[in-house]
Amino acid sequence: MTLTQNQSTATEISPRELYARLLSAQPFFILDVRNEEEFKRMPIEGHATLRTLNLPYFDFIEDEEAALARMPKDVTEVVVVCAKGGASQYVAEVLNNHGYRAVSLSEGMIGWGNYYDVRDVVSKEWGRIVQIARPARGDLSFAIISGEQAVLIDPLRHINVYRELIDHAGAKLTLILDTHVHADHISGGPALAKETGAPYYIHPYDAIHPIDMLPAVIAYEPLRDGQVFQIGQVRITTIWYPGHTLGQVNFLAETPDGGRYLFTGDGIFLRSFGRPDLGGKGEAWTPILYRSMFEWLPRHLTDDTVILPAHFSSLEEDAGNGIFAAPFAQVRAQNDSLRPRSLEEFTTFVLSHLPVFPPEYVEIKRVNIGLVEPCEGKASELELGKNICALAG
Amino acid sequence: MPHFDQTLDVKGAKCPMPLVKSRKAIAELPVGQVLQVISTDRGSVADFQGWAKTAKNVELIAQETVQENGQELYVHYLRRTA
Repeated sequence: MTLTQNQSTATEISPRELYARLLSAQPFFILDVRNEEEFKRMPIEGHATLRTLNLPYFDFIEDEEAALARMPKDVTEVVVVCAKGGASQYVAEVLNNHGYRAVSLSEGMIGWGNYYDVRDVVSKEWGRIVQIARPARGDLSFAIISGEQAVLIDPLRHINVYRELIDHAGAKLTLILDTHVHADHISGGPALAKETGAPYYIHPYDAIHPIDMLPAVIAYEPLRDGQVFQIGQVRITTIWYPGHTLGQVNFLAETPDGGRYLFTGDGIFLRSFGRPDLGGKGEAWTPILYRSMFEWLPRHLTDDTVILPAHFSSLEEDAGNGIFAAPFAQVRAQNDSLRPRSLEEFTTFVLSHLPVFPPEYVEIKRVNIGLVEPCEGKASELELGKNICALAG
Repeated sequence: MPHFDQTLDVKGAKCPMPLVKSRKAIAELPVGQVLQVISTDRGSVADFQGWAKTAKNVELIAQETVQENGQELYVHYLRRTA
């Protein structure tokens, strides 16, 4: 086959369109043209219907025919992705000139990694609960807006997303809550507090770096167990839940219509729960996590309490419409890791399901309590890849 | 710095152009000679390694990072082997 001189310009797909396709669970094909190392570190993940192949773009430059011969025979529609969107454009053009219908992901994995998805979990007369997700990382954060007041729970690094959301709702940010000091991503909390003057709350036990044993140098207000906040018509109660970190808390939001929404942070997830070893003391913290999970939290849980965690591990956890939340009765039925166990069984279960400990997680905790101030490039490097906060499946 | 015969300046060029231009330049290089490629694209470091592994007649002899006027340059040395 010969290339025509008149190469067509490959059309692009935006991160928003890509996410809609990933959520729809319709079968489609991604050709990832980054080098093998980068591909393995952070592939685009979707439902089981997604097929992905890694064929580096330099294979197309070196020997186009040989690279094309490695494409699956039954594929005609292709989404091509690379790091920044240049090489994918190049390869998409090659494919389009050989009878494929190929589109290139605009801005590549950088654009995908920084893409935020915003949607309502619930919208009622008393107000709204909004889920703000960073799908590439499996990070979830939330806003509760009621009576012109807004609270953010676990806001992520790109704070303009939140400021626009709250401005657009005609509300004022009056409270910023982190369920814990995160290890996998940089919190937007301190920066939002600085810009808006809203108080930023974390539990004081998380204000000490667990490995360095150094205190936070950011401005924060200390959370205590049982502390109550009122945002418009919504009452928020703090529930101390040590284990993933010593200062991990859950926030229970109660709405005037009897709704109960539990923001679990890295406590319980929809299909797993937060690992107790990221403070470097897994064996000591596992019994503490056990007590939080099986003795303390159940007092606050009803079957219809909606569980809203800070992460998902797979798009299979989508409860429909891109919302990663479910009533506790459903979570209990689907999440085998929550099954009652003795402390011994639980300890064995935890210690045999620990995934790798990403070395950058120690540094990210330093950033989150102000011990280190990274530039933008360093910050996005620290946040590469999907979160590994849950136990392995 | 290794010995080289020709140099290719791709400063400012974004992926995939450093590699596209290097592939062309290697094709025009006599067998056995070495091409120096000067790039500002950080991604080129890993990509040139990956390319040299699968390429038929390219050997990556060395790579270095040097500072020039406050910007980082990624310099690759490629030999045409056949």
